[in-house]
Amino acid sequence: MSTLLFAWDYSSYPGARKYPHLFKPIQLGGLTIPNRIKYAATEDNFNDHEGFVTEADVAYMRARAEGVAGGLCFMQGVYMDEGRQGQGYVGQAAAWDDKYIPGLKRLAEAIHAERAVAGYQLMHCGRVGAVEVERCQAPSFVPQRLRVFKPVEAMTKEDIKACVRQHAEATRRGIEAGFDVFEISGIVGYLVSNFVSSYTNRRTDEYGGDIRGRMRFAVEVIQACKQVCGSDHPLGIRLCAEELLPDVRGNTPEESMRSYQIAEEAGVDYISVTAGWQESIVPVISRDVPMGSWLHLAKRAKEHVRVPVQMAYRLFRPELPNDAIGRGELDMWEMCRSMIADPLMPKKVLEGREEDIRHCVACNLCLARLFRDAPMTCYINPRCAHEHDARFAPQPAEERKQVMVVGAGPAGLECAYVAARRGHEVQVYDRRPEVGGTLNEAARAPYGDEELLTCRDFQKAQCEKAGVELRLGVDVTPELIAKEQPDVVVLATGPVYARGRGKGFDRGNVVNVLDVLAGRAAVGERVVVWGNRKPGIGVALLLAKQGKKVTLVGRDRSAGFDVNPSFKWRYLIYLRQNKVTAYNDCDIEEVGDGEVLVRTYDGYRFPVKCDSVVVTERVANNALKDAVHAEGIQLYVIGDALMPRNLSSAVHDGHRIGLRV
Amino acid sequence: MSFDPEKEVTVLWRSLHGAQDEIGRTYYRWRKAALELAGPGVSTLQAGLKAAEVIGEEIGRGLLPRLNWLKGEEAWLASLAGAIAANWTNQGALVKVEPGKSGAEAQICWTRCPWPTFAKEYGAPMEEDVQCCDHILQTLLRDVNLFFNVEYRIETQKAIPRGQGACVRRLYKAEKREA
Repeated sequence: MSTLLFAWDYSSYPGARKYPHLFKPIQLGGLTIPNRIKYAATEDNFNDHEGFVTEADVAYMRARAEGVAGGLCFMQGVYMDEGRQGQGYVGQAAAWDDKYIPGLKRLAEAIHAERAVAGYQLMHCGRVGAVEVERCQAPSFVPQRLRVFKPVEAMTKEDIKACVRQHAEATRRGIEAGFDVFEISGIVGYLVSNFVSSYTNRRTDEYGGDIRGRMRFAVEVIQACKQVCGSDHPLGIRLCAEELLPDVRGNTPEESMRSYQIAEEAGVDYISVTAGWQESIVPVISRDVPMGSWLHLAKRAKEHVRVPVQMAYRLFRPELPNDAIGRGELDMWEMCRSMIADPLMPKKVLEGREEDIRHCVACNLCLARLFRDAPMTCYINPRCAHEHDARFAPQPAEERKQVMVVGAGPAGLECAYVAARRGHEVQVYDRRPEVGGTLNEAARAPYGDEELLTCRDFQKAQCEKAGVELRLGVDVTPELIAKEQPDVVVLATGPVYARGRGKGFDRGNVVNVLDVLAGRAAVGERVVVWGNRKPGIGVALLLAKQGKKVTLVGRDRSAGFDVNPSFKWRYLIYLRQNKVTAYNDCDIEEVGDGEVLVRTYDGYRFPVKCDSVVVTERVANNALKDAVHAEGIQLYVIGDALMPRNLSSAVHDGHRIGLRV
Repeated sequence: MSFDPEKEVTVLWRSLHGAQDEIGRTYYRWRKAALELAGPGVSTLQAGLKAAEVIGEEIGRGLLPRLNWLKGEEAWLASLAGAIAANWTNQGALVKVEPGKSGAEAQICWTRCPWPTFAKEYGAPMEEDVQCCDHILQTLLRDVNLFFNVEYRIETQKAIPRGQGACVRRLYKAEKREA
């Protein structure tokens, strides 16, 4: 007999007809979940540093619970030991004492308030834990490869037994708090995965040896939790289908599938399929990995176990999981980053409002923040982490104003629709015939940058729905501003491309990055790209992939200063792979005939042969500011026009000013 | 364009040598400070070996992300030996790596090393220089062995400070000990 907590009828929704496999029920243990959607447990660092749940986390979770439209919504993994060795994130929720139950209860109630199924995850971070204490726990002493992690302490058998008990006790607390579904985290380098992996488990006792021995700890945890859960609360586990650690002799895919079978034998009601560890050198979820790349792992899992199989990992488009479920290769669609970027993503799919989805651009800023003990934010969603903050909720404008936004790039469009939704009359001007600004060119860079256009498409749709008037192909002049006399002018005109301080920058072989990306400017076989931030990296990689010999020259100490560290390492590898020579901490002193003279920060000079120089260095754009001031009009400058940065800054600037204007 | 390559390289070369000299002098300045703080009862060799342990640990940890088992053990060993050689080369030594008697062995040969000169300049015994260098290498292997679950050892066969003309060290695979 299966229990249905909340009845949902999706039959009248367009999304349920378009994606029939996503919106049909599934049974997990003794519980029926109305659809195939799951917001997977995601650390957010929003909680109190003593492990108590905060208002920010409750509001964040409630928004995601609304998004799953009756599906599964998991809170972040809790740590379970008073000694805090299992704690991997400063803002991770705790469950090592009954005093945490009231806070956990608030999370369960917030999820239930949206008629979603509340999930609770147990997460001892093992080798990547001990964020607040000196030593982390793991099955064996294996030194850390990444300096960010704490020294390892090998667990005794007593430690292991205590840890199993802690899992069971934390499960009991989750049940008392009102959660419905329980999950053990055994992924990316956390404790369960440390035991499972041949890389980190060198034990010679019953907890080590072959895969069955290495799974013994997981089995004991499953059995202890299962005893507490009984038949009323399904219990699942997240396990690696591929650790992607061949360079350090981690598990083979066959061993991983064997771990799935052993987990199933031990009594789990579902398995969540994951790939990679934090220590893996293979990219897994960044934008350079094509969507759907990991679906074969779910298919493989389905071939090895009978319990339902769930998976996230670059499934940002609903057709991918829908079709996979239809083919019998997957049972549930998990999401983390997709719903960080847009908490209502699956709900919008259900309602047939896909144009309203703000898509994740897979930049991994959210992860980069977590690893640096900062609260999670989103590159593309300015409201993320501010769900509880009334200042980030759009309020109707007290006075309707005429707002002239100059520039239809990401900053301008974001500002325009937010202001228009609040009741302002907004016109967006751009000299280009289309919206998107420099994003149109930026998206031509290789390694997945075409996904950046989802931002443009989302903003355009929102502008249209909010009644923003687009005046494209119009060059805004001081005369036009004087004639229109708007109440507010927002300058989102983008940057000005810098002219080098050295000699020769007026030569014919010096071209602009936008012209090169758009194919309007031809370059020779040997190219120097001036500027080592993202625009420079993007065009350098594009040209290198065309077979050109590319040299990157930039003033920053390392290339990619404006790219978050969780993605930057990819670019540095791609630059090497594509044989791009990077001279950082350098500038161009002179552009000559067939070569440029490069000058290091401390004055050394050397020539680099080149046929063309591509300018990517940018400065703030001061055009029109005086004209606006002269008319006594309220002025805001946003995005790269204010200070050249990145897409995220443009979107966040635009959103904030849209709320404020 | 006005560019005099000889002038640029000359200035750069001097800066490199200056930086290399500062590495050695900084070590011996700290050694002097440590010995003065420790007082007369402390053995200079013990102090040097402790410093060597700290240095070896740091170098060893730094190697972990760079070494890769994917291309097999022989390539792995070659990159380990190469990384050790590069470390001393950066300090001004001339070091080359030669294959050993088997794929599980490499010979690392220092034909020039600045460290004995610094030792002489600061009045440190030559034998301390040999033992500290050896201890750095032994210590750096500790984490490397644990991380990759292997048992490699290094032995000093010749040493410049002992008047043998070159430092020669054998890096080789030993039988794996039980955990």
